[in-house]
Amino acid sequence: MQRQILSRHTFRTILLLSCLIIATSIANAAVTVGKPAADFTAVDSNGKQHILSQYKGKTVVLEWTNHDCPYVRKHYGSNNMQSLQKEATDAGIVWLSIISSATGKQGHVSASQANELTQSRNAYPTAVILDEKGDIGRLYAAKTTPHMYIIDKTGKLVYMGGIDSIPSSNPADIPAASPYIKTALKSLAEGKPITDNVTRPYGCSVKY
Amino acid sequence: MTYNPIRFLRYIWLYRMLVITCLAWLYPMALNAQTSAQTVTTPHVSTSLVSERDGIEAGQSIWLALHFDIIDDWHTYWQNPGDSGEAPRIQWQLPTDFTISEIHWPYPQRLPVGPLMNYGYSNEAWLLVRLTAPDKLAMQEISIEARAEWLVCKEECIPEDGQFKLTLPVITTGDNPASVWADRIQAIQQHIPQTSPWPSSIRLEQNQIKLDIQLNQSSKAQLQDVYFFPDQYGIVDHAAKQAYTLTDKTLSLQIQRGDLNAQPLNQLQGVLVLSERLADGTITRAFAINSTTVTGTNLQHFFTILAFALLGGLLLNIMPCVFPILSLKAFSIIKTAAQEPVRVRRNGFVFTAGVLFSFALIAGILLLLRAGGEAIGWGFQLQSPVFVMVLAWLIFAMGLQFSGLWTFGENWMGSGQRLASQPSYLGTFFTGVLAVIVATPCTAPFMGTALGYAISQPAWIAMLIFLSLGLGMSLPWLLISLWPALSKYLPKPGAWMERAKQALAFPLYATAAWLIWVLAQQVNQQSLLYALLSLVCIAMVLWFWQNTRQASRAWRITAMVTILSLAGLMTVLAWKLEPAATMQTTAQQSWEHYTPELLSRYRAEGKPVLLNFTAAWCITCLVNEKMVLGTPDIQMELRDKGVVYIKGDWTNRNPAITRVLEQYGRSGVPLYLLFPSDPQRQAIVLPNILTKGIVQQNLQLLD
Repeated sequence: MQRQILSRHTFRTILLLSCLIIATSIANAAVTVGKPAADFTAVDSNGKQHILSQYKGKTVVLEWTNHDCPYVRKHYGSNNMQSLQKEATDAGIVWLSIISSATGKQGHVSASQANELTQSRNAYPTAVILDEKGDIGRLYAAKTTPHMYIIDKTGKLVYMGGIDSIPSSNPADIPAASPYIKTALKSLAEGKPITDNVTRPYGCSVKY
Repeated sequence: MTYNPIRFLRYIWLYRMLVITCLAWLYPMALNAQTSAQTVTTPHVSTSLVSERDGIEAGQSIWLALHFDIIDDWHTYWQNPGDSGEAPRIQWQLPTDFTISEIHWPYPQRLPVGPLMNYGYSNEAWLLVRLTAPDKLAMQEISIEARAEWLVCKEECIPEDGQFKLTLPVITTGDNPASVWADRIQAIQQHIPQTSPWPSSIRLEQNQIKLDIQLNQSSKAQLQDVYFFPDQYGIVDHAAKQAYTLTDKTLSLQIQRGDLNAQPLNQLQGVLVLSERLADGTITRAFAINSTTVTGTNLQHFFTILAFALLGGLLLNIMPCVFPILSLKAFSIIKTAAQEPVRVRRNGFVFTAGVLFSFALIAGILLLLRAGGEAIGWGFQLQSPVFVMVLAWLIFAMGLQFSGLWTFGENWMGSGQRLASQPSYLGTFFTGVLAVIVATPCTAPFMGTALGYAISQPAWIAMLIFLSLGLGMSLPWLLISLWPALSKYLPKPGAWMERAKQALAFPLYATAAWLIWVLAQQVNQQSLLYALLSLVCIAMVLWFWQNTRQASRAWRITAMVTILSLAGLMTVLAWKLEPAATMQTTAQQSWEHYTPELLSRYRAEGKPVLLNFTAAWCITCLVNEKMVLGTPDIQMELRDKGVVYIKGDWTNRNPAITRVLEQYGRSGVPLYLLFPSDPQRQAIVLPNILTKGIVQQNLQLLD
């Protein structure tokens, strides 16, 4: 009897360990389009917890941001980012703006500053995630602000790269650029494959 | 009209205002005309548009540069900024008919930012462009306007821009003075990547790009740093380490693929920066690389090649040296088919095995030779005079056979027939082997390219290509043995075959003539005469051979001795083929081997001398020779100025050279010395990284 319990315990340990190993290997493949996106747990500017895997069934957009970066200002100053956010969240898409700037570095904000920014800029993200340790940024190998990722309803990474196709800080370039995110979300909604699913992200470096 | 004093005063006032305003406009314009640079200063950079010359002549091309003087810890970006950032951009406004080049980017630095990697410039950045004036210039002066945008970053980034104007007077006197920027612009040109003088290729392996660069004789080169900067974003993982290995012939880089790894990669473009440790410090040079993928995941391409190999093998059967055997074999099959269909079928398979075995053997030998470091690419072989000579003999001998001077096919075919009529499977196997051997000379002129391609591939692909060729060759036999009825569609042998054979001799003679022409490029006139005589010997040998076949024993021994001695003579002549004055790519390179006596003799004669101390293992030296000193224009300039070009090879540490190196405070090569004609004057020491501009400028100092 005793032996049976022991072996059951061992069995559960092994199961747990293998789950861990599988989880780690998934994490390593986090930034491959077509593969399951790495899960993360994060706290937003209102203290609310967000677990990516709990959004299964919904499309999730991750937006790396730094309000002082000229390339972020290009898209917020022109209202391009806000209108994308509004269009997406209105369609039931979860939009997470992530700030991975380390404490003391450009773009780092407190929770209240983050909320003020959202308000003053008329932004419409589902939540603003504070990632000052840069864990989520490193997990997704986020390079620039902005750097965009889209995760589909099954939890698969389906897009990574730039917000559009013209790498500049000039808002005048927005109308001429291919709007990668807009197009990708449209294709997803229509159940079509995303044609440009890996593109060049451009902007300032993420201030890890 | 009445006089109105108030109105008059108003006119005076207006007039004065007009003059003042005009002066206010004209004053800065006058200032502009005098400065050769206009500078835009921001808190982070001071940016100037500058020119290497203080004027411009009609038809002239000059270097302009946008120069960024960057404060400490900040940087601007290269054409591919890496993981973040943005490359600067310039928009030009030029006078009519002027043209301006794309930006020539000096090679960048690696700028790591946390886990990311940027490519850019710190302290200062130079963006060079070449301005070309039209052949006719009516103006007194020209002004070039530019609008530039750039991003300057430390951790945070600031986009900046500026409007620049450069005014240059038009010079008609033919003497366009160098500006105060000339030296610095000249110096930065050493940082502009030069087209790589070495062939290179890429292979895709899972998530890696393997970049192979064929540096010859470089295994002893001491590399301190090797890095490949891709021209575009996403091709390689910028932050990943690039491992490299240097073998006898090849420098191999393992580069991690970047974000955009799902896209097919047919071409890799970028800049390879090599730092070579030499006795007197490290020399860094940049080379523009443009490599194509040799093999990779492209299966379709691979199968196409295999299909062509199969077709090529099939065609071998109608080659004059193979076709007669095929016909004879086909007859023997027809004869036996009715009685023993199973046996015939098995014979077909065994024959195929014999052919495949022979092709595998040839492939194996070639691959082994390649592994041993021999360069076997067909094209490369033609660079070896001895090889070209031997090939010419072979083709010429084949031609003579086709013309009917001698016969060699009869015997071989006879033995093939004999073996084929033997009941053993071993006999059939060797018929296959023989068919391949007989076919081999026929393949040489026609299959060269295909075989050359096969040899440049990884071993297993090369082997598969050879086997495909073999399969193609044995295919008709295989088909006939499986369905003997097919043989009635073959053309019947007859007198036409003999005529066809004789006619086919002429393409072979033409090939031999072409080979001799190739040889003429490689050897001197004396050796060319030997080579032509050796063809006469070939004809004699074969004639002897043919005419003593049925002769008495004594005759045959005499003939054999004569044949052997003639063959020996030819071999000696072939080995003695002397390279023409040039072994380099240029047609007429004239340099002499260094000896201290030679140098002092020329100096005493009052001749200017360019002395080049080099070594086979010094990449920098070889590149300087290939890209600058050995080029036709520099060679021409040396000849025009009567400069004697002397080369000292320090590959094996020649003590006479070591003494000169020490005299100039060097402990190793390269060392370039330009001695003026006046024996009293000191030598000019040229920099270790040569550009044509540097050499030309220094040659002018000789006058």
